[in-house]
Amino acid sequence: MGTVLVITSGKGGVGKTTITANIGTGLAMLGKKVVMVDTDIGLRNLDVVLGLENRIVYDLVDAVRGNCRLKQSLIKDKRYENMFLLPAAQTKDKTAVSEEQMKELCARLKEEFDYVLIDCPAGIEHGFKNAIAGADEAIVVTTPEVSAVRDADRIVGLLEAAGLRQPKLIVNRIRSAMIKTGDMMSVDDILEILAIELLGIVPEDDIIIISTNRGEPTVMDNDSRPGQAFRNISLRITGEEVPLMPMEHKYGFIGRIRSLFSGE
Amino acid sequence: MEFWEDSLSKKPTVMIQRTLRSGQNFHYDGNVVIMGDVNPGAEIVASGHVLVMGSLRGMVHAGATGEEKATVTALSLAPTQLRIAAHITRPPDGNGTSLVKQPEVARIKNDVVIIEEYQPLR
Repeated sequence: MGTVLVITSGKGGVGKTTITANIGTGLAMLGKKVVMVDTDIGLRNLDVVLGLENRIVYDLVDAVRGNCRLKQSLIKDKRYENMFLLPAAQTKDKTAVSEEQMKELCARLKEEFDYVLIDCPAGIEHGFKNAIAGADEAIVVTTPEVSAVRDADRIVGLLEAAGLRQPKLIVNRIRSAMIKTGDMMSVDDILEILAIELLGIVPEDDIIIISTNRGEPTVMDNDSRPGQAFRNISLRITGEEVPLMPMEHKYGFIGRIRSLFSGE
Repeated sequence: MEFWEDSLSKKPTVMIQRTLRSGQNFHYDGNVVIMGDVNPGAEIVASGHVLVMGSLRGMVHAGATGEEKATVTALSLAPTQLRIAAHITRPPDGNGTSLVKQPEVARIKNDVVIIEEYQPLR
């Protein structure tokens, strides 16, 4: 029996989909059987980030409505055969699926998979309620911005009210230089307000934009710092203890020269 | 021996053993004690005193039914807005995030809300 993990944030644009794609791929790299479910019906993205857009035949709505068998709607990844995607429908809206249907879907998926990752839409309405309906645990994503932390706090309250106690936190898009000068909230500042367990921290890096556009999760790139962060987070999800990576500046002098020649 | 300083102290008192997060609110006809933080975006409205055994960063309205004797006490008093009876105050503009890490009390004195260091009453 697997675990259903919902990745949520309240605020949009903080990196839910990117983190879902990278953690999912990270867990698959560890040999786990993983399925990622995009619940952002009408605004699907996860398929694009994973580079699987052109393989979609059936989607989440087809699966819960019985238009196809559940197996038919699962897209096998092109890199890892133990990794699957259940894409959102693009031509419908959030009300096309009910909380009951999501619970049933999650229950069926976790019989088959070690990890079921639910990519939650932004907001706290129907789509959010659907996304958390069948979840066993929750991961809250925030960035070091006051507005994102405020929304994360609201989400933690709503998760607790829905019985998802002790959600875990990922702080995304950290810029250590700005924290040093006091222009950005530090992880400690965020933890003081949210007071939940920290699952991981991810540095801001241009490689995220590049890899997202290419449809290749950066977690597969051994040289990228966010990739390392995502591999660490994946390990922590499987229960291993991994220390937080230092948020010091990305390159030393040598690294800067190397990056000059790496052609990126 | 009279234990009651004011009529408010005799009012019923509830104790909330958790943190109030953004979007959560609590209204009560009486005094409220919170054994946790009150985060920005959370709201407490009480007809009596409010005591926060944690950081107060949200909105609190004490003496909401017009009691000018109501007070707000917190281990760290940094509300987005603070109301006592009909008085509404907010922290001064600018980088007002200098968290005071000592217990403070807000009360009405000479018709203005003042904040002072918490002193145990003798």
